Amino acid sequence: MSRAHQLKIGVSGIRGVVGEFLTPSLAASFAQAFGTYVGPGRVVLGRDTRSTGEMLEHAVACGLLAAGCEVVKVGILPTPTIQVYVAATGARGGLAVTASHNPPEYNALKLFNGEGLFFNHYERSELLELYHQSQFQHATNSEIRFVREDYASAPQRHFELVLKHVDAEAIRRRRFKVALDGVNGAGSLMSVRFLRDVLGCELHAISVDPTKPFPREAEPRPEVLGDLAALVRDNGCAIGFAQDPDGDRLAVADETGRVLDNDDVLAMAVDCVLGRSPGPVVVNLTTSSVIDDVAARHKCPVYRAPVGEANVVDRMQAVKAVIGGEGSNGGIIFPGVQYCRDSYTGMAFLLDRLAATGMTTSQLHAQLPRYYRSMGKKPFAHGHLGVIMQGLQQKFPEALADRTDGLKLLFPDSWIHVRASNTEPILRYAVEAKSEARLNDLVDKVNRLL
Amino acid sequence: MALTNPLRISAVGVRGIVGPGLRACHVLDFGAAFGTFLDKRGKVVIGRDPRASGVMIREGVVASLLASGHDVVDLGIVSSPVIQHSIRRLGAVGGVSIGASHNSAEWNALKFFGANATYLSSGEAGELLDIYHLRKFEFKDWTEIGRLESDSTAIDHYLDELASVFDLGRLARFRVLIDSTNGTSSLLLHRMNERFGTNFIIINQKLEGRAFVHEPATNKAMVALQLAPLMRHVNADAGFLFDIDSDRVALATETGEAVSEEMVLPLLADHALATGTGKLIITNLSTTALLEEIAAKRGGLVVRVPVGRQAAIDALSSYRPEEVAVAGEGTGAVMMPQFRFVYDGIASMLGILTILDTRATTLSRLLASYPAYSILKGEIPLATRRVPTLFLDLERKYSDAVQNRHDGLRADWPGKWFHVRVSQTEPIVRIICEQKGEPPRALFEELMDFVRSYSA
Repeated sequence: MSRAHQLKIGVSGIRGVVGEFLTPSLAASFAQAFGTYVGPGRVVLGRDTRSTGEMLEHAVACGLLAAGCEVVKVGILPTPTIQVYVAATGARGGLAVTASHNPPEYNALKLFNGEGLFFNHYERSELLELYHQSQFQHATNSEIRFVREDYASAPQRHFELVLKHVDAEAIRRRRFKVALDGVNGAGSLMSVRFLRDVLGCELHAISVDPTKPFPREAEPRPEVLGDLAALVRDNGCAIGFAQDPDGDRLAVADETGRVLDNDDVLAMAVDCVLGRSPGPVVVNLTTSSVIDDVAARHKCPVYRAPVGEANVVDRMQAVKAVIGGEGSNGGIIFPGVQYCRDSYTGMAFLLDRLAATGMTTSQLHAQLPRYYRSMGKKPFAHGHLGVIMQGLQQKFPEALADRTDGLKLLFPDSWIHVRASNTEPILRYAVEAKSEARLNDLVDKVNRLL
Repeated sequence: MALTNPLRISAVGVRGIVGPGLRACHVLDFGAAFGTFLDKRGKVVIGRDPRASGVMIREGVVASLLASGHDVVDLGIVSSPVIQHSIRRLGAVGGVSIGASHNSAEWNALKFFGANATYLSSGEAGELLDIYHLRKFEFKDWTEIGRLESDSTAIDHYLDELASVFDLGRLARFRVLIDSTNGTSSLLLHRMNERFGTNFIIINQKLEGRAFVHEPATNKAMVALQLAPLMRHVNADAGFLFDIDSDRVALATETGEAVSEEMVLPLLADHALATGTGKLIITNLSTTALLEEIAAKRGGLVVRVPVGRQAAIDALSSYRPEEVAVAGEGTGAVMMPQFRFVYDGIASMLGILTILDTRATTLSRLLASYPAYSILKGEIPLATRRVPTLFLDLERKYSDAVQNRHDGLRADWPGKWFHVRVSQTEPIVRIICEQKGEPPRALFEELMDFVRSYSA
């Protein structure tokens, strides 16, 4: 692994391997830049369960206090819960110390504005400018504010918002058997409370100890959710949920223990929302066409945004979307709760569908049109990106090209999307087709070219 | 005291005006340097005084210590002696005190303690500074990063130790008026009242983060202003005024007289020589000659070192602890062997009350039993390049005196001495002159004029 991506300070914030690369003083300076940017008001600070989270939380608090901000520590909480709290309490902004689905040696800062939204492109650029100028506020003893702790109230605020949009009573009546893999993450305790106490499920939970390290790969990919599948099967659960360490991503297993494709999970949530209140849908360019089919059933338009939660949220606000998300990233974004990826909204919507339809999870899933998908990534040499993109376009002259984010080539029954990652020096590609044969053909061609 | 530069980095740590001088980056780098300096991994005890900036500094120190793989035990708002006591109690590898002691509220500072719970020696402090300047910090990865815990029992454990050295039950008979100057002493003394029934009546007791009710100076003038006028009203047996982290103390008598801060050390030295095994009084060149007189009477010996805590620490480390009776300076800061040679105003106060108890006397009578010395202090700005000539000429001019050149010039005659030295923190020359009996006005004015002639 090159040193290049062991530390990354850029428009997506600051991320790196803690210790040698991501140091306390880097985190504090970045936080001081953030505090200077949002001004001397309240800033909410939370974190996930990584062992390095406590250290970075203190470094960030130091930087924020030095900039003259008041720090509201909310402790270990899922990212969406922190965002809800920021928006609800009228804070100037918020920071989450989390590297989301990255391995445990990493950590990062997620930055929110006063509405609890991820910094958009302009805000991030301005902040980065401030950081690079090192022109921070340096509060004096009479200007320095204090640290307030509120470790209790945030989950309840979040639950109340979610419950407004589902038939909680109907869910409780069913007393669903539900399996949960909390990856010992920030949502561990809160998810148990939500599913068992709030939604009245018979809960079978593993990895819900926030004091322990991640027991599996942090990203809830189907390949690493074997324990969840077994938990579902052994206990005859109606559905299984898996979260990532900061509780924004959700993976779902059906009653047979099969982990559903994230795009399909998003499609089920879209179906749930549009059935109640039709409206525009926004997904990123890499999300499956299954969303278009589901939206078409409800006669609702679908808009596409570049990959990245902030991009999707920006577009959702512009078109007044009723739901959105990023399929492959396992993120459901529902503005009724908060403009952010939120596993709690996702869990509630799916249970709501099960309760409303009386169907099993696999039956619900079977209602979706079938697509074949393949995704992958390849390292690339800097400076070669343009050549690769041009080569792809020349190879498929019949395709409609979309250059909004990397290159998306659209065919009548399939598409290819190739883009450079924002966080690592790799190319990500996604291919989708109506038939397996077509998929394999396209994947072969892409692989040969890359 | 007007300090010209808003940031000071030296062997005794880092100190500055928060914002324009002392900043988050200094705190993080010093925390990281100290974490790297402590080669043995383990617990590091931290605490702070009530200044508002202390929270910002704590967050930075905690982050850097955790990142360097140490577990941190946060005692919250406590005095330095409590931190030092907890280092020993918890078997910690070091400690950090966040607080600017007798400086005004806009200042803050970091003080570092080693595993033996005392201040760093000059050698250690130099090494710490080298690491700081090199910025080659050792940070641990996610598997070895430290953990933070808090400990609210530290004050009680420290009071237990005070109770084992002093007979607090007997001292409870004294009615004692305290000016806490919004600092940490009020926490300790309140708790002492609760647990041991002592009779401390505390004014300015509210812990204050932004503006202290008065300058945290422990000197006769401040006592005369704040404490002495109240003494008769509350019918107190003794009055004590503490600075913010209660390492220094000044006193007032039961008759309402403000006492020179110079007297704290002689009282405790006399008592230590009379009751303990140690024979050495370690003090600096600027402190009263009454000490020599007391030492002569009790068979002790005064060791004079340059001004500054670091010189006292280095001197202490060259003697066996049982050889030392007491160490301290004329500012009211005193260290006792029972308390691991930490400047401790609370212990100093209990020591003085113990003297009143064992000798069955009053503070005014006790003070009257010592010969009177009069001290005059002044300062004159002087360009650094003029300093060597000044001292050469001073040595020549006062060649009839016994001279000590370890820190500027100290010149002694029977019953009279002066000390002229350069401040470590400002481009000024300090002039101190003492005489048994009447103030040495003529000598003092002569010296002031002499030094002034070099500043033209």
